[in-house]
Amino acid sequence: MTAHAYAGRTAIAGIGATEFSKRSGRSELRLALEACVAALDDAGVAPEQVSGLSTFTMDTNPESDVMRSLGIKELTHFSRVHFGGGAPCGTVQLAAMAVHEGVADYVLCYRAFNERSGHRFGTGVQDRVPGHTAEEVAYAWTSPFGLLTPASWIAMFATRMMHEFGVTSEDFGRVAVADRRHAATNPRAWFYEQPITLEDHQNSRWIVEPLHLLDCCQETDGGQAILVTSLERARDLRRPPVVIEGAAQGMAEDQQMMRSFFRDEITGLPEMGVCARQIWETSGLGPDDVQTAVVYDHFTPFVLPQLEEFGFCARGEAKDFIADGNIELGGRLPVNTHGGQLGEGYLHGMNGIAEGVRQVRGTSVNQVDGAEHVLVTGGTGVPTSALLLGAA
Amino acid sequence: MTDTTEPDDLLAALRALVGTEGPPTTPRHPVDETLVAHWCDAMGDDHPVYVDPDAAAASVHGGLVAPPATLDIWDRGGLKHARSADSPRGRALALLEAAGFTSVVAVNSELELRRYVRPGELLSNVEILDAVSEEKATGLGVGHFVTTRHRYSTADGEHVGDLLFRVLKFKPGTGRPAPGPGEGAPPPPDPDPALRPRPAINLDNEFFWEGARRHELRIQQCRGCQALHNPPTPRCPDCGSFDQGWIVASGRGHLYSFAVPRYPQVRGFRYPVLVGLVELEEGARLVSNVVGVTREQLSVGMPLEVCWLDSHPAQVEGETDARGPITLPQFRPATPPRREATLAAADVAEGDALPLFAVPVTTTLIVAGALATRDFTDVHHDRDAAVRAGSPDVFMNINTTLGLTERYVTDWAGPDAVVRALRVRLGAPNHPGDILAFSGSVQSVDPATGAVVVALQGANGLGAHVTGTVELTLPTASTPTQEASR
Repeated sequence: MTAHAYAGRTAIAGIGATEFSKRSGRSELRLALEACVAALDDAGVAPEQVSGLSTFTMDTNPESDVMRSLGIKELTHFSRVHFGGGAPCGTVQLAAMAVHEGVADYVLCYRAFNERSGHRFGTGVQDRVPGHTAEEVAYAWTSPFGLLTPASWIAMFATRMMHEFGVTSEDFGRVAVADRRHAATNPRAWFYEQPITLEDHQNSRWIVEPLHLLDCCQETDGGQAILVTSLERARDLRRPPVVIEGAAQGMAEDQQMMRSFFRDEITGLPEMGVCARQIWETSGLGPDDVQTAVVYDHFTPFVLPQLEEFGFCARGEAKDFIADGNIELGGRLPVNTHGGQLGEGYLHGMNGIAEGVRQVRGTSVNQVDGAEHVLVTGGTGVPTSALLLGAA
Repeated sequence: MTDTTEPDDLLAALRALVGTEGPPTTPRHPVDETLVAHWCDAMGDDHPVYVDPDAAAASVHGGLVAPPATLDIWDRGGLKHARSADSPRGRALALLEAAGFTSVVAVNSELELRRYVRPGELLSNVEILDAVSEEKATGLGVGHFVTTRHRYSTADGEHVGDLLFRVLKFKPGTGRPAPGPGEGAPPPPDPDPALRPRPAINLDNEFFWEGARRHELRIQQCRGCQALHNPPTPRCPDCGSFDQGWIVASGRGHLYSFAVPRYPQVRGFRYPVLVGLVELEEGARLVSNVVGVTREQLSVGMPLEVCWLDSHPAQVEGETDARGPITLPQFRPATPPRREATLAAADVAEGDALPLFAVPVTTTLIVAGALATRDFTDVHHDRDAAVRAGSPDVFMNINTTLGLTERYVTDWAGPDAVVRALRVRLGAPNHPGDILAFSGSVQSVDPATGAVVVALQGANGLGAHVTGTVELTLPTASTPTQEASR
């Protein structure tokens, strides 16, 4: 049985973000700093108290620059998590471990980018210079054949899901409709007051069949920071602590970076299953104990197997769980109450952690009554991570 | 004389020829087993009744026969003996040639067989000019359609078949622009495959790409435990061995999943790109392109076979590319096996689909097909001549298309199916490097007589190359197929 010592003894004390836009007009470093300052303000912690930083390997903002500009005198922990959008809950896990071990007292987790006005991930990897590393060689199996974008990699899984489970494009569309419904009442969301219908989804143009435009997340400029400390310290801060009841990273057999096409089955997300097992074992909780979830939604199809891997429904049945209205406000498990990355903004999942915190605090614009335990997941198709948050 | 010819005068002169009949052709050679064998090789047609005397003797034909699609090749003149300019069509084409309509392509061929012809028979035909169209603006150019009818007979006067043949005689360079993207839309990307991303190659995967250059599909095999691993890995995750070799896979497999990228569009690809996740019969999977199919024809589970795209040349602008040439595996619909036991009419229903059949169009196929049908027109074997005639490269002659069409339908129907008619209409030309992808379905069945009509089309990268029908007779429950009486 997995029993993470830091679980239940560490907490998120503050969250902070910039606005989510298509053109921030500021450097990525400045976005990171603004988010960090906002998270510290939220908690009532001074920058000098921070002794740890954790971010993504993909983040362009060195810990040294963030430290300098925040006025931090000493750092005793700095760590990064690889594999793009799989990292968000992983940064929080590293922070929690560092705090629990006494390596650092307060750790800021951050992610900031100009992913719309600067480098856009969706434009493709066709211009990567073919090097000799294992990571570059992995692209040799897909890029020469025109599979060049995250949407194209996910589409390959989606077609197989449709074939094996009878999932339809409308089933994917219902995820987008739920996200956009939730975003429509969130003033921070890019798509505030802009809900969509299933018909809108079906009529949106193809990006990569079977994915329509409205199956794809936004491209966003912005920054998000999360402040982690011990539960004990968090009790004395400005906000009620949000307990890290479970935090996990996961990779599974024959894992590839968004292109795990070579496993016996490609319709599940076994790496998310690795996270789910750790989270449930550590927390002693299960899917029935969770009232709302932030489920990583860079592309709609992978929302389905995440619900299955965490046991909210049986394998192959997520389409029915969704079609029955369970993931919308008022349903069994409202998902992405901030609007998700389709509706609020694409911050590599870090904004989803913030929404999980708000649900536990009771401050979400789409508050779920009695949200005692909230699940948050990291990116899908990649080595990933997850969090279970709860009230103190 | 020509430039001053008024169109009305030209048409009047052409129309005056309509209805005229030429003398019977004078064949130099009889129907010939050797040329039939060459024809079968060129078409990839393994039909036994054309080349195997024993199988032919046991068939509905009772002996060797010539492929139906060859009806009109036997009395052709050959390289040094061009068709008589004195025939009705020859006279019509000469008038058009003089008026500046200097290029010619065949557009329709409709063969009707009263019976199969046999080696040793001497065939000749009588030609009648059936029609000359008004001037038409076509994709190839401004021109006139010239239609002839040909009656084929043996030396003793037996009428064995008929041909309706139509050519377009046109002015090169006057074609309509190909339908392009709408106004304001960006131009389509250059499909030059050398612009595709090159694969990253290192010590772990170079065996795969070396194999690809030799058109071998190599899949890593562990020398310790024989397990296959794709993508390759330095150490076998099953048994732990670092001793890794490879097998050459058969190249056969099926489509496990697919994705169809449409946006963003990058250089080197024609959109939408059909990307398949292929599961090989040996068990390993790889990502590749599915070629020779339309988006609508893609379906999970479809049988596929490997083919090769020499995408990145060894030399670029005269200089050797130090990175080396690249060849990419591609997959086309698996060539349907030739049916050994003939379909009965009762086994066939209207709407039944024929399997997909993708033929790689190579210069060799075009030239071999032209020569095996005794067609020495330069545009079918001489690239320079084809370019002078306004074509980017040599292109397939109509008799090769007819032969492939016949093979497609008889491979599906089986050895005792008897072809009664082959009717094809040509559209986009077949140039080397393309793929001719046949699809078809049963248009009608008469269970009483066994008469079946198959409607088919063959598409290539430019559009519909051929559309047509094949009429054949299948065995019925009460009466096995009988050859039409002699």
